[in-house]
Amino acid sequence: MKKIVALLLITTSLFGCGNDDQDDATKTSGSLELNFIHTVGSEGLELGNTYQNTSSESYTINELKYIISNITLTRKNGTEFIYPVAESYFLINEAQIDSKKIILNDIDPDEYTKITFGFGIDPTKYPIESGTLNFVPTAEEAGMLWSWSAGYKFIKLEGTFTSATVIAEKPFLFHVGSHGATLDNYKEIELSLVSDTGMNTTIEGSVNAVQSVFFNLGQVFDGPNTIRIEDKTDIQVDPVNAPKIAQNIQTAFYIPQG
Amino acid sequence: MKYWCNILFLCFLLACSSDGESPMGTTDDDYTEIPEEVNNLLNFEVPSNFPDLTYPVTQNPPTEKGFELGKRLFYDGKLASDGVISCGFCHIQAFSFTHHTHITSHGVDGKIGKRNAQPLQNLAFMVDFTWDGAASFLDAQPIIPLTAEDEMNESITNVLLKLQEDERYPDMFNAAFGSDGVTSERLFKALSQFMVMMVAGNSKYDKWQRGEAVTLTSEEDEGRLLFDSKCASCHSGPLQTDQSYRNNGLAVDPIFNDIGRERVTGLPEDNRKFKVPSLRNIETTSPYMHDGRIPTLSDVLDFYTDGMVDSPTLDDQFRRVDGTFGLDITADEKSKLLAFLKTLTDNDFLNDRRFAEF
Repeated sequence: MKKIVALLLITTSLFGCGNDDQDDATKTSGSLELNFIHTVGSEGLELGNTYQNTSSESYTINELKYIISNITLTRKNGTEFIYPVAESYFLINEAQIDSKKIILNDIDPDEYTKITFGFGIDPTKYPIESGTLNFVPTAEEAGMLWSWSAGYKFIKLEGTFTSATVIAEKPFLFHVGSHGATLDNYKEIELSLVSDTGMNTTIEGSVNAVQSVFFNLGQVFDGPNTIRIEDKTDIQVDPVNAPKIAQNIQTAFYIPQG
Repeated sequence: MKYWCNILFLCFLLACSSDGESPMGTTDDDYTEIPEEVNNLLNFEVPSNFPDLTYPVTQNPPTEKGFELGKRLFYDGKLASDGVISCGFCHIQAFSFTHHTHITSHGVDGKIGKRNAQPLQNLAFMVDFTWDGAASFLDAQPIIPLTAEDEMNESITNVLLKLQEDERYPDMFNAAFGSDGVTSERLFKALSQFMVMMVAGNSKYDKWQRGEAVTLTSEEDEGRLLFDSKCASCHSGPLQTDQSYRNNGLAVDPIFNDIGRERVTGLPEDNRKFKVPSLRNIETTSPYMHDGRIPTLSDVLDFYTDGMVDSPTLDDQFRRVDGTFGLDITADEKSKLLAFLKTLTDNDFLNDRRFAEF
């Protein structure tokens, strides 16, 4: 028995050393802090403030909540560090400062070039493999579940607006998610972690890596698709408009290179 | 050699205990002792005449303890806001887990739902769930009845709190899934394990399909041929459903005004479409249709010949060349169809003690 154990230990240690060069082996795993910053164009988003879209509508946002999941970091050598999926579900709520800071721990020490995350919950991995069912209570408390449908709202965006024809303030409500097997609005978002001077983001035990991730809400209305609020003020289970909003959101996240 | 025996034994124990914790003691003397945490896999068998599994059984394999936990949860009114309405309240085994004689299901505080509780059977072979397919995964389906105001009207957070404070549940969760206690994923997985085991595949018709020693009477067999020619374009396959959503010509109920599948897809072409139900145990699941408006099977057949109304999404198969709607079935053919439909009753399933509340 001792021989077997010894053999196993030797084999394990050989494998352990094989992958890394001497330098990396001495580094310990690190953390990455992501700060989600919400803007409308170049302005910081304030709930209740009034903004304009290109359809000449004035709108205010009173509630903004969304779900982030499936975080993957790409190393400089192109391989991926997949953050433990069961721990990768986050609810971000503009009204709750704490929720806008995500701290990812135990990341392999390395230089990273890219971060990828999901907007919403991936329905193809849902629910058994990914541990997403443990996110149900969090989502429920935030009102991110439909009670008639077993699915998540990926974003809850509510506010009021006026336009040339809508003079008195009128509420609008966008709830985008996936429904059943037919309407999938899950989006993958990929952002560069390389600065404009070509520096990768280093994550290791002795470096507290902090990264701001911006979400330009203006893009929800004026992205690849133009969403004129007046055309449909209540977008929920909507096979035409919900996918357009999801496509817009996919382009609305950015990390300033600098 | 002795070491290999030890290792094999250890592997065997690990395979059986879902929490993956190593059992105590691996010396020869301990072999007779069965550690408490052993949680045997249940034998989940797919009848040979059945379609492919849709539920990923290997990812949530039913175990003794998981099933036991799922069963307790299923029959426990504690999961509802009023502490009374359990899943089993509307899903009664003798009627293939439907709410017999109740037109639509009842919920907390005497509230009446708008749909007829569907049978629970052969769920591991279904593509999606509920009359409109609002749940794509069996594990997530219970979110709907648990949280719907006119059903169990409870939040998942509260359900978990009540289970955590219970005398027995935390231990049962640990026994089924390991030491991390009560979580929502485990709650849903346990319910799925209980429901996945509900396989109704031992009706006379199943046995006939498998070539076992049963003979259909001439009436049943003629009914089978009629069924194949007049019903099986939608009620197809061994479970009598193509799992599609269709409008079968029911008049709109002005009280409920149920838009059916459109609620899930948002597509106008899905207006008033409902899932083609499996007909296994159909004899026991009265009343019929998504809102329970038809009391008997005989009435159902009369509806298909004479009761339909037109609407833009009515399934084309019901349109006759003369512009009227419905199927052409004579009175004699109806009695033969009824005889055939009764061969779909699986009494072994309806009386299976494993699923019984008491």
